[in-house]
Amino acid sequence: MRTIKLKRPVYIKSGFTIVGPKEGDGNFGDCYDIVLNDDIWCEKSYEKCECKMHRDAITGAIKKAGLQREDIDILMGGDLLNELSPTSLAARNFPTAFLGLYNACSTFGEAMLVASMLIDAGFAKNITCSTSSHYSSAERQYRFPLELGNQRPPTAQWTVTGAGCTVLSSEMPSQMNERVYEDDIIAIDENMNIDEKTLEKYKKSIDKQKKVINISKSNILDGNYGKENNDYMRVNSHCAVVTGGTLGRVIDLGIDDEANMGAAMAPAACDTILTHFKESGLTPGDYDGIFTGDLGRFGRDTLKYLLSKEGITLPGYYMDTGASYYTPEQKTFQGGSGAGCVNTVFNSYILKKLQRGEYKRILVVPTGALLNKDTPLQQETIPGIAHAFTVESKAF
Amino acid sequence: MLERKEYQDYVSQNAPRSPMTRTLIAAFIVGGLICCIGEGIGDIIKLIFKEMSDKDVAIWESCIMIFLGSLFTALGLYDKLGHYAGGGSIIPITGFANSVISPAMEYNREGVFYGICAKMFTVAGPIIVFGVVASFLVGFIGYFAM
Repeated sequence: MRTIKLKRPVYIKSGFTIVGPKEGDGNFGDCYDIVLNDDIWCEKSYEKCECKMHRDAITGAIKKAGLQREDIDILMGGDLLNELSPTSLAARNFPTAFLGLYNACSTFGEAMLVASMLIDAGFAKNITCSTSSHYSSAERQYRFPLELGNQRPPTAQWTVTGAGCTVLSSEMPSQMNERVYEDDIIAIDENMNIDEKTLEKYKKSIDKQKKVINISKSNILDGNYGKENNDYMRVNSHCAVVTGGTLGRVIDLGIDDEANMGAAMAPAACDTILTHFKESGLTPGDYDGIFTGDLGRFGRDTLKYLLSKEGITLPGYYMDTGASYYTPEQKTFQGGSGAGCVNTVFNSYILKKLQRGEYKRILVVPTGALLNKDTPLQQETIPGIAHAFTVESKAF
Repeated sequence: MLERKEYQDYVSQNAPRSPMTRTLIAAFIVGGLICCIGEGIGDIIKLIFKEMSDKDVAIWESCIMIFLGSLFTALGLYDKLGHYAGGGSIIPITGFANSVISPAMEYNREGVFYGICAKMFTVAGPIIVFGVVASFLVGFIGYFAM
């Protein structure tokens, strides 16, 4: 039995997202909390930038939930880089227990499931689930240097530059989100044990860093009172509750093309969705939103084909977050991918819709392709994995 | 679920492919243009330095093309050309310069020694190895054939 049904409600307290400029121009551009104007954010390397995005996504989510960092029991998170370096380096800023997770791009699903099980069992009260990915750091680790003049194949996907964090809690969230100011995101951390010289340097860089961030339009207060998409003035009519999910199995149907991750992940998504419907006794009609992670356009069609062979037709509202991430003019071919892809869409677009009560029950299936740079060279095929979790909205 | 073989057939038949005509034409035009520029530079050198031998002209021409390839890589323009032209901008000597300079720029952040110097040839390494081996073999055969 791989499907879990939680006995107690696990509430989603808040979601916070930080994305890069290209993502800000994409289809969900209005929904993110912070859009950066450049993708290095005054840092010396893209890895450091990813670490900062990750740290500040967690900070923002904690603040938005109206909590202090001491209230968090466990940080859970992961990313795509070697030894989870951005997540681990981000976690050193928090005085909490830390569990690093890796399931490639489906890490977010893994984190949500493990966190909600821990809360359900009563081992923890508040847990943050965060993931991040960065186009430039992932490109350098998995593919080629940025400036190399090679052509991307048409099955390629674009790694999302973004970090997102969800705060899960056993307590009900309040009806209004806390306002997050720039100063809350970029602040001098009292817990950091740094010498005065570094502190001086840090203070100087803060103004510079603020210029790079662009708090999303929907979060700006002035003059927009009562406007519907205003995140902080809106009183949420519903709260989002994680109710269960299905843990994924590693599926390998022998795809060996690392430029075609959608095809490698689609069978895993198909297996998880089939198992979920079989074990929970629900049908696609019981949901009003089904989201897969980052299959891309071809992977999405492959999943539809695989499910139709099993007699399941995905309804019209089915969406692949990767395929819908960018506009066609942005020339990403298959769409977005990466650990930050499904996370940033969930914490912005989907969560807002849940809190407004526009979705009643949704199924989110983040998918991941499990490979590193060397396995395809050693003639290994690429297995895929997908975890599914269900979220319901309940009226206050 | 589908069998392994069946699924692999489905993917290989349905996966989107590169538009052959467009990419081939773009590669042909851009590759040809780069070669024309190289020839033009050679002709100009010949005009200025009339007493220079053809061999020297070819060496200077290659040097200038390598410099141009590196310069446009550093300016962040060569990868944009590469996205459009593909093989057309990879095969000429400017593409070789690009494949050396781009990792050097990328690994600049790990320092000069373990970054730039160690990682510079990650892309171009095989080309250099094959070049050296091929020239050794040709020289070896040539020595006995003469």
